[in-house]
Amino acid sequence: MYDDFLSSIVEFNSIIFIHLDYIISLMKKFQLGEFEEIVILTIGILNNQAYSVSIKEEIESRLSRTVSLGALHTALKRLEEKGYLKSFAGESNEDRAGRPKRFFEITAMGKRAMIHAKDERDQLWKAIPKTIMQS
Amino acid sequence: MSKPTPPKLFRRFFEWFCDPTMHDFIEGDLMEVYYSRFRKSGKRSADFHFIIDVLLLFRPGIIRSKKSNSNFTRSVMLSNYLKTSIRSLWKSKLHSALNITGLTIGITCFLLIALYVFDELTFDNQHTNVERIYRVIEHKSVRGENTVIATSGYKLGEESPHAIPEVESVTRIQRQGRANLIDPEHPVPFQEDIVTVDERFLQVFDFPLLIGDRKTALKEPNSIVLDEDLAMRIFGKVDVVGRIVQFNFMDETLKVTGILRKSESNTSLIFNSLLSESTFYHREYFQETMKSDWASDNFQSYALLRPFSNADSVARKMTDLVLANYKPDDGTSLYYTLQAMNDVHLKSAGIVDGARNTNVIAMPQGNPLYVSIFSFAAFFVLLISAINYTNLTTARASSRVKEIGVRKAIGAMRSNLIWQFLFESILTTIISFVIAVLLVNLLLMPFNLFVGKHLSLGISTSLRFWMYAIGFVILIGFLSGSYAALLLSGLKPVSLLKGMKVQLQGDFSVRKILVVFQFSISIIMIVATIVLFLQVNFMNSTDLGFNKDLMVIVDINTRAARTNYESVKNEMSKLAAVKSVSVTSRVPGEWKTIRTIKIRPDGSNNEHMVSYMFGADKDFIKTFEVQLLQGRNFESKNDSLSVILNETAAKMLNITEASGQVVEIPSRARGNEYTPFTADNSPFKPRVIGIVKDFHFQSLHDKIEPLLLAYNDNPMHTIDYYSVRISSADIQSTLDQLKAIMVKNDVEDPFEYHFLDDQLALFYIEDGRRQTLLGWTALATIFIACLGLFGLATYSIEQRVKEIGIRKVLGATTTGVVGLVSKDFIKLVLIANIIALPIAFWATNLWLQDYAYHVSLDWWIFAVAGLLAIGIAFLTISYQAFKSAVANPVNSLRSE
Repeated sequence: MYDDFLSSIVEFNSIIFIHLDYIISLMKKFQLGEFEEIVILTIGILNNQAYSVSIKEEIESRLSRTVSLGALHTALKRLEEKGYLKSFAGESNEDRAGRPKRFFEITAMGKRAMIHAKDERDQLWKAIPKTIMQS
Repeated sequence: MSKPTPPKLFRRFFEWFCDPTMHDFIEGDLMEVYYSRFRKSGKRSADFHFIIDVLLLFRPGIIRSKKSNSNFTRSVMLSNYLKTSIRSLWKSKLHSALNITGLTIGITCFLLIALYVFDELTFDNQHTNVERIYRVIEHKSVRGENTVIATSGYKLGEESPHAIPEVESVTRIQRQGRANLIDPEHPVPFQEDIVTVDERFLQVFDFPLLIGDRKTALKEPNSIVLDEDLAMRIFGKVDVVGRIVQFNFMDETLKVTGILRKSESNTSLIFNSLLSESTFYHREYFQETMKSDWASDNFQSYALLRPFSNADSVARKMTDLVLANYKPDDGTSLYYTLQAMNDVHLKSAGIVDGARNTNVIAMPQGNPLYVSIFSFAAFFVLLISAINYTNLTTARASSRVKEIGVRKAIGAMRSNLIWQFLFESILTTIISFVIAVLLVNLLLMPFNLFVGKHLSLGISTSLRFWMYAIGFVILIGFLSGSYAALLLSGLKPVSLLKGMKVQLQGDFSVRKILVVFQFSISIIMIVATIVLFLQVNFMNSTDLGFNKDLMVIVDINTRAARTNYESVKNEMSKLAAVKSVSVTSRVPGEWKTIRTIKIRPDGSNNEHMVSYMFGADKDFIKTFEVQLLQGRNFESKNDSLSVILNETAAKMLNITEASGQVVEIPSRARGNEYTPFTADNSPFKPRVIGIVKDFHFQSLHDKIEPLLLAYNDNPMHTIDYYSVRISSADIQSTLDQLKAIMVKNDVEDPFEYHFLDDQLALFYIEDGRRQTLLGWTALATIFIACLGLFGLATYSIEQRVKEIGIRKVLGATTTGVVGLVSKDFIKLVLIANIIALPIAFWATNLWLQDYAYHVSLDWWIFAVAGLLAIGIAFLTISYQAFKSAVANPVNSLRSE
């Protein structure tokens, strides 16, 4: 009897925790890292022509910072895992030694995350007292 | 234009680590970027950035995860190999037992011998700087007579660190003799070696100090460092720093300044106390002689060189340094070499162990010949057990062809099968290795007792030993499995599955060769064991020319014991159990150095010759039962100018009849030089009064040398021993009575005695050890070979069971069948005999040359060894052969 009671409590607790985990993970999902945000924005700019090398060049030309393939690919992989991007294999050319390109597209969830990020920034901007920026 | 390629190594590296799902895309990116860089800024810059890119890609998220596909199958295959190996070992228990027993015995022998050899090879290696420590060796040539001796003068050690930049430090050691070392408050006389070293000794060498400061312990005069055993013996406790001890030859007392840990067994430098050299600095003789002592034989010096120094050039500089300060006599030349500390134990043949009093026993020497013989033996035992494995596994292969066929049919690659067999053999070896290590630990106690070492196999064993041993064992597992693996994996699956019995024609001859090889080695080992056994037996039982039994040798250690010898002797001979007493300077079978002299017939102008000498009284011949061939014995005190020669010495001096010929003896050996008796150089000129039959006054390893027996009162060597022949009744009480006489004469004199036969046996103890070691190895070899033969016979009879059945049905007799089955194997052993016996003859013959007196190699030794091998082989096979011969043929023929 007592054992049953105990096990039901444990079960209940575990259900609660699983849900909490899920909620936290949902909230996290809308989070974008700084570099991730730049990458996803660039993909938006490139519109259908976004693959790793073009993303790299675009960022480097617009933001005057160098981007390593390693950092870029990890970011892309993470974004895809979060469901913000989807990818498909594209054509190849001689320069790539016969290897296909991998093109990226922003998913609906990705767009929401971008908007969410922008909203957060705007909100913060608005909250800054005007006097601070004037001086 | 061909396209440039990025650095291959890094591309391969990338391919290796990259997650396969991303690999294609990223590689494409890398190439694209590479070419665009190449166009922009050339190959070098593109290559450089390529490398950077690859290195930056090496990060989590891009590196493939551990559980990628290929690894997954690999670990599954490994566990499958393990499972099938265990199953197949379990399935055929006899076969596995034979395999594991053979390998275990092989590895056990290997480990034991390897421990022994390793210990010999790492002699003196306990010093951190052993690679940089060298012993100074003096090469002296006096009028064409060369001596190589490990000594040097005082100044060489003192000056070379200043004069030669490569020399960091030099330490000197002197072994001055033996004396009583006592605690003055509770004197219990006990003779100890006196070892004097300078203050740097404990800094050059790492003999561990339990208590005391190694930098200062030997600095002050009258300091002494004891080892823990000696401290226990004198004081009954270890912590005795600050206590006082005294050597009876010195007036001063000594202060204990340090306690050494009990010395390791594999060290060349043996001592249990160290006296500080500075004790003698204030003495007059020291101050007088040492100032100019550049080239004496008084010290043994060990030089610590700076790292990366060239020992040869340092030795040349030392020679120059000595010759710049010291001018050798005319006709004398002198130079020095440096002997690495590592070589002192095994490579000192021909080097005299200098700077020691003749009372001190020389450094223990290893014999490199035996080290290599044993290394070979260890290797061969291991090889034979590996061959055994190979043989048994290939022999049993036909019962596994079905398994191999099925594996191949469902897509096993050849490499899979090879790995499977190798895995099995390595597993077997590892099992055997573990059992062997346990076995070795059980056997180590008796083994240590018998080789006289302190070997151990455990955590404390040096890591290097474990690495070698495990490496060797894995190699053996690899080798023993590889033949079967290559052979079996190469078979065609169709033939494997179609005809269930595949005759592995070619491989049987390989197996035959292996059996022949195994038995050849076994036979050689048997011959070697028999020969060594006979030789040891010969040395222990051969007629030495004197009677060694029931002879007590009492050391004379004090002046009183020496001067009152007449009365001591008298009292001893009065004892009922004493048959005869003699005083001598040395005894036959002597363990200390026997003095040599220069000698020539009086009036001759020839070069002087060298002879050994004993001082002996008139009872020597009677007591030792030496045979006087002609002339007369010593009779009275008037004989102090008489000498007796042995046959060899008489022959050397061209004396056939002892008739009072005068011989001229100008000098005697002192240390390593011949020094005259008197200041005015006048020679000693005794008369030859008799000739004795040659007797073995040294060990049987050496030829009988010329020997001169001088009267006990002679200028060459003082008396040192009472030799007492006693009766066999109640030896202990006789000893007690002898002791009472000695103590009454001089309380200071510790009663030190030896039994002559025990002392003689010590000469041959090493030979006895070798014989036993070799005997056991031979036994192991032949046992392993028989295991193999047993396995092969079992297999071969299994294969022929139908044939035997049909033969029996047709009327074959039991003996006929046994003969038929055994014939093949006995033939192999016969071939092994033909190969092994000549090799054995050659090797043992070569080896016996080492002994001056040795047994002859009779034909029967070889016959016995050969027949033994055949007999053992036959016994091994016959069990299986008889079983098959008496089996009911119905059983084997019933089913088809």
